[in-house]
Amino acid sequence: MKSIKDQTYYEILEVSPTAKDKEIQRAYEHAKETFHADSLAVYSLFSEEEVKEIQSAIEEAYRILMDETLRRSYDHSHLQTAGGQPPEKPFETQEVFKEKKTSLSFTGISFNPDEELYRGKTLKQIREKIGVELQVVSTETKISIKVLERIEEEAFENLPALVYLKGFLKGYAQSLGLDPQKVIDEYLHSMEEAKKK
Amino acid sequence: MGSKRVGQTQANSQKTIWTIGGGKGGSGKSFITANIGICLSKLGVRVILIDADLGGANLHTFLGISPPALTLSDFIKKRVPLLRDVLIPTAIPNLQLLTGAQDLLNAVDAKSVQKRKLVRSIQTLESDTILVDLGAGNSLSVLDFFLMSDGGILVVTPEPTSVENTYRFLKSAFYRRLRQAVSSPFVKALIDGAMDRKNERGIQNPYDLIKAVRREDEKDADRLIEEAEAFRPNLILNQVRSKKDIEIGFSIRSACLKYFGIHLHYLGYVVYDQEVNNSIRKRKPLVLENSRSRAAQCVMEIASKLANSH
Repeated sequence: MKSIKDQTYYEILEVSPTAKDKEIQRAYEHAKETFHADSLAVYSLFSEEEVKEIQSAIEEAYRILMDETLRRSYDHSHLQTAGGQPPEKPFETQEVFKEKKTSLSFTGISFNPDEELYRGKTLKQIREKIGVELQVVSTETKISIKVLERIEEEAFENLPALVYLKGFLKGYAQSLGLDPQKVIDEYLHSMEEAKKK
Repeated sequence: MGSKRVGQTQANSQKTIWTIGGGKGGSGKSFITANIGICLSKLGVRVILIDADLGGANLHTFLGISPPALTLSDFIKKRVPLLRDVLIPTAIPNLQLLTGAQDLLNAVDAKSVQKRKLVRSIQTLESDTILVDLGAGNSLSVLDFFLMSDGGILVVTPEPTSVENTYRFLKSAFYRRLRQAVSSPFVKALIDGAMDRKNERGIQNPYDLIKAVRREDEKDADRLIEEAEAFRPNLILNQVRSKKDIEIGFSIRSACLKYFGIHLHYLGYVVYDQEVNNSIRKRKPLVLENSRSRAAQCVMEIASKLANSH
């Protein structure tokens, strides 16, 4: 139980100290959305001053944690233990982080209220919504950025053979936290429909 | 009270008591209580539903049964010898209903000893899980029952009024819990003052409160922090219509962490589904009437989480 002033940047963004850029980006977008002045979740709980204070703490945390050099320096001064290594589970946010990961698997992204199929443009929208650069997906999945672009642009004629495409779609879906089988089925379905036209 | 895994049905094992409250009337507490209860009973869990909704006790309607003739008051007034005698069987195996909201809450409103006695009586009932529909409102009796259960569940819809009311409830429950943890009249007065943002000491939030208490008594301050960190209510977002709505659940959780320093557990959401209204009009539980509907699927997912929670 710490006030915003006493929280580490990781606690402010509710991420683990080992969080990768993609997670920090996602957490930042979530925090910004949550602590927006008109946010439904905030306006009746915090005063305007408190919201402003949190907003500026979020921006500062994001600025530091997304800069490799600044983050290393921050970690060095704030997270080091006597043994010289960052603690494995130093904060209560570790728990929140875990829950968030679990919860996200059943909510949000996998939920498709409009019954919109996972097509290239849908995947792109989701990726952009969670603030993940294509380069980050590419690095994580080892799928070339060109292939990812073609998947998103639905450049069906330039996509790799089906067997490879399935593997790429699976990797891409997993990196966004989506149901891989659903993404594969729906993407291939949209591809078949396009070919018929 | 302790929690346990699904399927443990030993007569002497501890049972889990969940209370469903918070928010405003019409957020779907009774619908969720009834349908989660049915889902759990279908998983083999012995469930008792308790209708403690003072505003409108109608849990029976969600189960498709008539207003029960026997209520808790028959037991309290000794018209029947045992509490289990006022349990109403339902057509659903493993599922029973107990009504008598007024008496229950009146009793809970009574002295602490009586409250505990009532809870103990409820605990002696043969079941694995008890779900208590507290209804709307944040009277002291409702708050106490919420706090005395193994897990409190807040049902919220993604609307300003519902979220506001939920925070009001949460604040009241939070400070009441802290109040119950200390004996010092001075610290209790500080806590009472913290409920009002215009208090003369300038206590604006729980952190200010802890600081103010620490100036008086280190141990009490530590005790309050322990209590705050042990307070882990749950949240269900009902009637969601978009991804943005779903995100509100995560935002509420983040807001609670920043404001109270508490870990609110986002149990899940239930989508807005016309099938819910259809099932209520027919007086047939959704998860039985239309188990493949999207809302029913959401309820089942939440029930399975509760069943597997420790």
